Amino acid sequence: MNSPKSRGPHKRFLIVYFLVQLIISPLFAQRDTITNYYETEQIKLPKGLRAETGGMDFMPDGRLVACFHLGEVMTYNPKTKVWKKFAEGLHDPLGVAAISNTEILVMQRPELTRIKDTNNDGVADVYETVTDDFGMSGNYHEFAFGPLKDKDGNYFIALNVASNGAGIRPEIRGTYDSLSRDGRMYSCVPYRGWVMKYNVKTQKLEPYASGFRSPNGLGFDAKGRLYVSDNQGDWRGTSPLYHVEKDKFYGHVASLIWKKDFPRVKPLSLPVEQLDSMRTREAIAFPHTEIAHSVTQPLLDNTGGKFGPFTGQLFIGEMDYPRLVRLLMEEVGGQMQGACVAFGDGTGLLKGNNRLVFDKNGDLWIGHNDHGWVGDEGLSRIHWKGKVPLEIMAMNLTKEGFELTFSLPVDAKIAANPSLYKFQRYYYKYHRPYGSPKTDVADVAVREVTVSPDGKKVSFKLAELKAGYVYDLKMGELKTADGKLLMNRAIYYTLNKLK
Amino acid sequence: MYKVAFRLFVVLFAFRSWAQSDTTITLQAITGLQFDLARFAVKPNQKVKILFKNEDDMAHNLVITQPDKRLLVVETVIKMGDKAQAVNYVPPMPEVLVASKILVPNTTETITFTAPATEGVYPYVCTYPGHGYVMYGAMYVTTKPLPLLATDPNIPPSRQTLERIPSSPHPFPLEYPLLYRTFMPDCSPAAIAVALSASHAYCFDAGKCYLRYAWRGGFVDNTDHWKGNGNALGKIQGTIYFKDNVTYPLRVGKADKLPEVDFKGYTLTNRLPTFRYAIDGVEVRETLKALPNDEGVSRTFVFSKPTTQTVYLVTQPTDGITYKSSVGKWQNGTLTLPKGTTKCVVTMQAPPVAHGAHHGH
Repeated sequence: MNSPKSRGPHKRFLIVYFLVQLIISPLFAQRDTITNYYETEQIKLPKGLRAETGGMDFMPDGRLVACFHLGEVMTYNPKTKVWKKFAEGLHDPLGVAAISNTEILVMQRPELTRIKDTNNDGVADVYETVTDDFGMSGNYHEFAFGPLKDKDGNYFIALNVASNGAGIRPEIRGTYDSLSRDGRMYSCVPYRGWVMKYNVKTQKLEPYASGFRSPNGLGFDAKGRLYVSDNQGDWRGTSPLYHVEKDKFYGHVASLIWKKDFPRVKPLSLPVEQLDSMRTREAIAFPHTEIAHSVTQPLLDNTGGKFGPFTGQLFIGEMDYPRLVRLLMEEVGGQMQGACVAFGDGTGLLKGNNRLVFDKNGDLWIGHNDHGWVGDEGLSRIHWKGKVPLEIMAMNLTKEGFELTFSLPVDAKIAANPSLYKFQRYYYKYHRPYGSPKTDVADVAVREVTVSPDGKKVSFKLAELKAGYVYDLKMGELKTADGKLLMNRAIYYTLNKLK
Repeated sequence: MYKVAFRLFVVLFAFRSWAQSDTTITLQAITGLQFDLARFAVKPNQKVKILFKNEDDMAHNLVITQPDKRLLVVETVIKMGDKAQAVNYVPPMPEVLVASKILVPNTTETITFTAPATEGVYPYVCTYPGHGYVMYGAMYVTTKPLPLLATDPNIPPSRQTLERIPSSPHPFPLEYPLLYRTFMPDCSPAAIAVALSASHAYCFDAGKCYLRYAWRGGFVDNTDHWKGNGNALGKIQGTIYFKDNVTYPLRVGKADKLPEVDFKGYTLTNRLPTFRYAIDGVEVRETLKALPNDEGVSRTFVFSKPTTQTVYLVTQPTDGITYKSSVGKWQNGTLTLPKGTTKCVVTMQAPPVAHGAHHGH
């Protein structure tokens, strides 16, 4: 309770405050926002389309090809804005790759299918099974993702595990094995929980890497490294992105039973320490609720600068927030790790950012989905307006801390102030229960801040650096000399290996 | 307690009698110059509310005429020429019972009227010039069961198989044949439901490569399956008339040895699928078609090369189906196809569709 005496000064303060507001409010009206740089447009949908978007790609002639939950494959001509049916009747298609103007590949629940219009009437008439050489128990959670084409023409696909929220059907496809039926998510038919490679030469589907839960996103970086995302859940403390290499295990235990030479034991009976030692950690952990809830497809910015300054970086979609996430990775000690930062907040983007694809003009198309969970439906297009915003272009680990690189020189007087930066570190547990709280949370003191002479780099010496933690950096208002504001002031670095 | 029960009875009774006195019909103009409902029934003097929706991409109206006056009204409109448009293509004549305005696409009009006291068949029609010869249906004013749909002369001949055309859940109209890969009962998870027409369908197992069952009376309702994450099965609309209870019907070399199967996909010819699969390395193309009057299906098996081994089709003699084949010999329900066979048509005749006495809606 305030004493009566203190009311006078308070009142005076309020009057002054409002006067100041009145004077500076025109300045606020011109405050630098993301809409100065990017704009989002919603694509008008054809009548009757339930736009739960499972996959998107562009045909060579510039038409978008997209597949949807009710089994339709539609094309959209961005010039004429005309939608047309290309194929129909598919089972929950969750990925499409355009081969030509008349041929596509679609990943649907039961198989990878090549779909062709052979009589050139604009509608597909041939549906060829490329591969159905994996099991299906009939459990609804056995979604299938991909295909992602590599430089040799092979295709990567990813197979979800089943959920204990539902059982299996009386008739299944593939050899049944009950060894990992226990647990929240299970794999009871071959290669559920695996990333698979369809070898075009042998025409065989090969097991590639194990340990996945709900790998709803595959993509390559500029060097052709394969990345696969996953969702928070059992054995997933928070949503991760993995750099996937052949024969490695990525942590979700149910799929281990299909690994060659794996002993006939229940994976859940193994000590967590042993499982932990077998797994490859995520390149990036997306702190839950801090930046993402459910990340989707990673996509390389290969636009050559048509989408802004981020060429060579990866974007990844996010289901529950109206945003994308931008990834800043580096190789440390022979492994990929790095930082994630928000992208697209405030551009009018919807939620449910499930699928991403760039068109020839460098616009980023987003296919939305909800699929019975949080999200939105429809299609959006993000367009870069041509000016470079102030953004973090790199976050690199140093021996004593981190170095940030910005897209534009920052005002060194502001940026040199250590109190502008709050570092915190924590980790997410690797364990059987669903998700993990932030664990061993601690503030990390900033010992020294240095701004480079050109104003583009700010480096930090920290009181402590430990492997196995996420380093969470929240910044105050950084700006350029001409008043451009740092668009995203929170960034999260997954530190697996020290320099 | 007694009092409460009595009051409840009164309320229920009142509701019942109200429900009996009024009826609401949803009627849609849909693609292909037709109404989604081929016919409906109301009672004499019943208060009728029709929610008329134009779901097509051209303009339509709804006119109900006196019995047998459909063509007279339609032709009167044509004779009116340019003047017809001003009156929504509804001529001022006593043969018109009730009419809507001309509805542009994606609009709705509610029409309320009292059904005639005289029992009879009152046609409804779109009188937009040219439409009325094919775009019509029948309002039965009656308390009796309706005649067989298959031979009802008061509806367009193309509609004598299906009373209501289901509305499309897609951004395009439903066309038949129609195919859905979905979860189906009594099938592996790689199921394909195929509608030969809106009222005749079968389930092909793409995991096990054979026809599992066939049914008549509708197709499949995927509403629950498409809700959210897809846990529910598709629901069969209609009655199954054939079910394959043999573990696997086709055999190569030996009649008692189950073959290895491999699904290869399908091609569509005028929307009709031909499935491709291999049994013990023998490549097969199978096409199913409806027999006349939907009295079963024909299955055409085409082998990519003349067969080098005997091929068997094993059926269950007690499954109620009459089997015939263009090639080979039958013995105890097993068809033996000699070496060198390239094509075989098997007809599977079922007892005729059991037409129930349909009543209106």
